[in-house]
Parts: sequence; structure tokens; C-alpha cells
Amino acid sequence: MEFDKDSLLKLGKLSKIKIDENKLSSLSIDLGSILKFIDRLQSIETDNVDPTSNSLDQSLVMRDDIALDENSATEILENAPEKELDFFSVPKVIE
Amino acid sequence: MKAGLNLIEASELLANNETSSVELTKIYLDNINKGQVLNCYNTVSSEEALKEAESSDKRRKEKKSKSKFDGIPIGIKDLFCTKNIKTTASSKILSSFVPTYESTASQSCINAGLISLGKLNCDEFAMGSTNKTSYFGSVINPWKSKNSDANLVPGGSSGGSAAAVAADLCIASLGTDTGGSIRQPASFTGTVGLKPTYGRVSRWGIVAFASSLDQAGPITKTVEDSAALFEIISGHDSKDSTSSIKQNENFYDNLNSSVKGMKIGVPKEFKSDDLPASTQKAWDDCKKLLQENGAELIDISLPHTMDALPTYYIIAPAEASSNLARYDGVKYGIRENGKNLIEMYEETRSIGFGDEVKRRILIGTYVLSSGYYDAYYIKAQKVRSLIKSDFNEAFKRVDAILTPSTPSTAFEIENEPKDPVQTYLNDIFTVPVNLAGIPAISVPFANDENNLPIGLQLITNSFEEQKLLNIAKNVQDTINYTPNLDKWWIK
Repeated sequence: MEFDKDSLLKLGKLSKIKIDENKLSSLSIDLGSILKFIDRLQSIETDNVDPTSNSLDQSLVMRDDIALDENSATEILENAPEKELDFFSVPKVIE
Repeated sequence: MKAGLNLIEASELLANNETSSVELTKIYLDNINKGQVLNCYNTVSSEEALKEAESSDKRRKEKKSKSKFDGIPIGIKDLFCTKNIKTTASSKILSSFVPTYESTASQSCINAGLISLGKLNCDEFAMGSTNKTSYFGSVINPWKSKNSDANLVPGGSSGGSAAAVAADLCIASLGTDTGGSIRQPASFTGTVGLKPTYGRVSRWGIVAFASSLDQAGPITKTVEDSAALFEIISGHDSKDSTSSIKQNENFYDNLNSSVKGMKIGVPKEFKSDDLPASTQKAWDDCKKLLQENGAELIDISLPHTMDALPTYYIIAPAEASSNLARYDGVKYGIRENGKNLIEMYEETRSIGFGDEVKRRILIGTYVLSSGYYDAYYIKAQKVRSLIKSDFNEAFKRVDAILTPSTPSTAFEIENEPKDPVQTYLNDIFTVPVNLAGIPAISVPFANDENNLPIGLQLITNSFEEQKLLNIAKNVQDTINYTPNLDKWWIK
């Protein structure tokens, strides 16, 4: 089973991952194999079953709303590949 | 001093002034240096470790030690953010990332005085069972098959964490387990790997893979060490909203290895003709051993066992595709330039992620996309409920479940199958546990005919880690497994 190549390119766009032309074929075989594998679930009867999103039987715990002075902008910006003044910098968005 | 100390032995030597933290740290830094060929560490933080060791010795002299483990050198999987020390998740995209904060679990180790020797190699973003997906290259299993010189995988994703403990490149380590990433490498390296109940150890500051499945835990030489390190890293953390509010326990002090009267479940779905004879024998021997020690064996059924892996390969990639959306070349990590913003994202992610990570992001995006969401994602969440309910039913009848940890022992690095699904099958015995959120431990039991370690898995109900550790200790103490690992890399 192969994953349709046009769908694969569209998936790449949605995932913001550029898919190289020379990897298209092997990737479509890999994804086809994974899809065939996960398709096994379709035969399981789940009509009256509730979905589980998290296994913990506990409501999410909220923490007290206390302001903490940590993670300063200067520190955080040190990891940015490109920055200008006190901001992350990205390629121009508006023409 | 004897080679291959465990946590408890090291703490006794320190307490009796037979060694110092500086001496221990130097020995292990030297071991790391000699063991470079194993590729266990992405980053070795020698200077920081020695400085911390000096402080620890000073504290001990002043009788101000932070805990009885103060001064013991450990290793930390390169998935835990460590303040001012590079944290890469073994990915090119994070290869330059230096966190400005410390993960709660690694902070707990610091609070107990443990010394971090550095960051341990793993599969990229913890996605893999061989450690081959690491951008920094495969970790090499310190074990070799007795008839071959070929390098073996250490398992994954916490391959560096397990190999480093087995090879004495640290005394104990932290790993993470999303589908078996602590237990499978522990099984492949003759070490003890504990995956706690979901929510026991804070996920705050750990690079996220699949948030509803990820859980941190210890990889150690012994069950006692496992209990001790687990006690250090567990407990409620207000920074993680899924962190359990259950009171922390004294797992180490409360260790009691009696299994008298306990009911041990043996699930029929784990039996397979494909299981190697030596693994089947280890499993059978362990059943017999537990019975002789006073436990009762009960045949049980976990009917949805074989559905767990496909369920996992929907849920984990779905959560990963969402979690990994943050790596876009803007805030941290590498950037590859493009003509515009979108192209910059696409180029950065194409170059920054390895093949397995890309496959999982693409599959995750697919199963979450409009038109497929119900058929795949919701369907998988429903099957997850069935898997969880299988365990709930089983634990009405038994205290614990005994299975093999993995369907094989360590295999050759060059022998990984081309089809990713074949590699996924490595986790067939471990994945159901993550989907149910319950705790499990892999204990080394015997070596196979090629002298490679076989691990067995014990599973209990949520928050019953004490019982789990107790049974594991019973098994450990009865068989008295000694690794006899030949340190070929030192010759």
C-alpha cells in the first residue's frame, strides 16, 4: 500500500515540512505501511465506548495565580536564531 | 574501590568517608572518557559536575548534606531541560538550545545533591526503539553477542540512559517512557527500568513528545536504586497540571520483598510462537520462582493487547505533531532561511527534523486532519478506553501482571528492518501500559544463549509502585542476576 503522492505533498504543506522530491517515493511507502497498520482499528466495535484523552483520574490542578519573576526576555532571546532589539525577528510578512 | 557501584553502595561509601564526591565524579568522568565509543553522552558537563562535587563534599564535612545520596554522579536523558546546559532532544533542530530553566525532575535530583555528569543520548525527540534516530548517532550497547563482534542497539528511546548505567558511565540515570522507552532499553542492557504511573513525576521542563503518555523514571542497576531515585523525582508539581496530587511515599524505606499470598496474572495474549525460546524460558522460570516464593499464578486475559500498538501509533503521532509545531526556527534552535515566512518554516523543519520524526508528524497531522479525525483519532481514544478497562478488570483479580519486557533481546545496529512498522513491534509488550497510564518495571532476569540480557516486565495498577518495586525486589533477590559484562571498549 502506498500513500497517494499528492496527498503527501498536501500533508507536508499542512505540517510545514518541505518534502524533497527524491524522498517522495520512499516516504509514501513508509506512510502507506503505517496507515495499513493503524487501519486495523476500524474493525473494533466501539459504538458505546467513551474516548480516553488522558489516563489520570483527576481533574487538572490549577496553581495559585502568583506572579513570578523568572525567564526574562533577555534570557529567552538568547536562544533566538535571529533577533532585533528585544524581539524575535522573522522574514518580512507584509509586502 | 569496586567498579560498578550502585546508588546505595555509593551512598554508604560516602557516609563512611571511604570516598568523596569529587573522587567518585572523577572516576565516572574518566569512565565516560574511556567509553566514548559507546556514544552515550551528547554533552558531558565535567566542569559543572566537579564544581558541584566540591560543594557536596563541603556540605558533607559540615554535616549539611541534602540527602544520603548527596554527591553521587548520575546522567540525565537529553530530553530534560537543564539550566545553562545544552538540551537537544538529540535533534538537529534543537542542537543549539540552552534552556533558561531546569526541569522539575532534574531539579529534584539537584535538591537531593545528586551530581549531573551530563546529558544522555536518546532517539530524536524520544521517537524510536533503537537509538538510531538520534542526530548525534547511535548509542552502542555495551553488551555484545558472544559469537559476534557486531555492534548492538541499546534499545530506545532512553538508549544512552540505559547503556551508560550498564557500562558504569554513571551510577544511575533519568529516562522517559512514552511507549516503552525506559523498559525496552533497560531490558536490552541488563538494567532496571521503572515507568511510573502517569502523573507521578512532573513533566514540566521535559521536551514533550506525546503529552498524555510521557512519563519520566529511573534507570538503575538495582531495584533498591530504582525505589530511591523514584522517591527523589516523584511528587506533586504545581507547574504540571497533570501532576498527581497523591502524597509522595518512602518507596525505598518501605521496600519489602515478600510476595506471599500475592496474585500474579499471566496474560494469554502475550504468549506467542514468535517469542524466542530463551525469553519464554525466562518468563516460565520467573512464574515458577514467584510461585515458590508464595505467590499464586492466575491466567488472565487482556483482550485488546494486540490493538494497543496501532492505537499508540495514532495517539502518539497526533500529540507529537501538535507538540512539535513549536519548532519553527523563530524562538529557539536552528533556522534555515527561506524567501518568506512559510518557506522559512518549511525549510527549517525539513532540515531540522530526522526521517522518523517527520514520518510521525506527517501521520499525526493526517489523523488529526478534517475528515479523518473521527475515523482515526477519536477511534484510537475509544480503543484506549477498552485497553484501560482490560487492565481494570484484570486488577480486580490480581495484584500484578508478569510479561516479557520485549519480544527479543538486543539486535544488531545494521539489522534494523526497513519497514518502520517492523521496528514499532519492539514495543508491543510495553505500549499497552502507557495507554492505560499504569506503572511497570523491567527487571533483568537471565541472559540468552548469546549472553544477552533478557528483561521481564511487572505491571501493577495505578499508584501501586510500592507493590511493583516489592515484587521486583523479590525476583531480583531470588535470582541474584549478575551481569558479567565484558568491558571490551576499555581494552
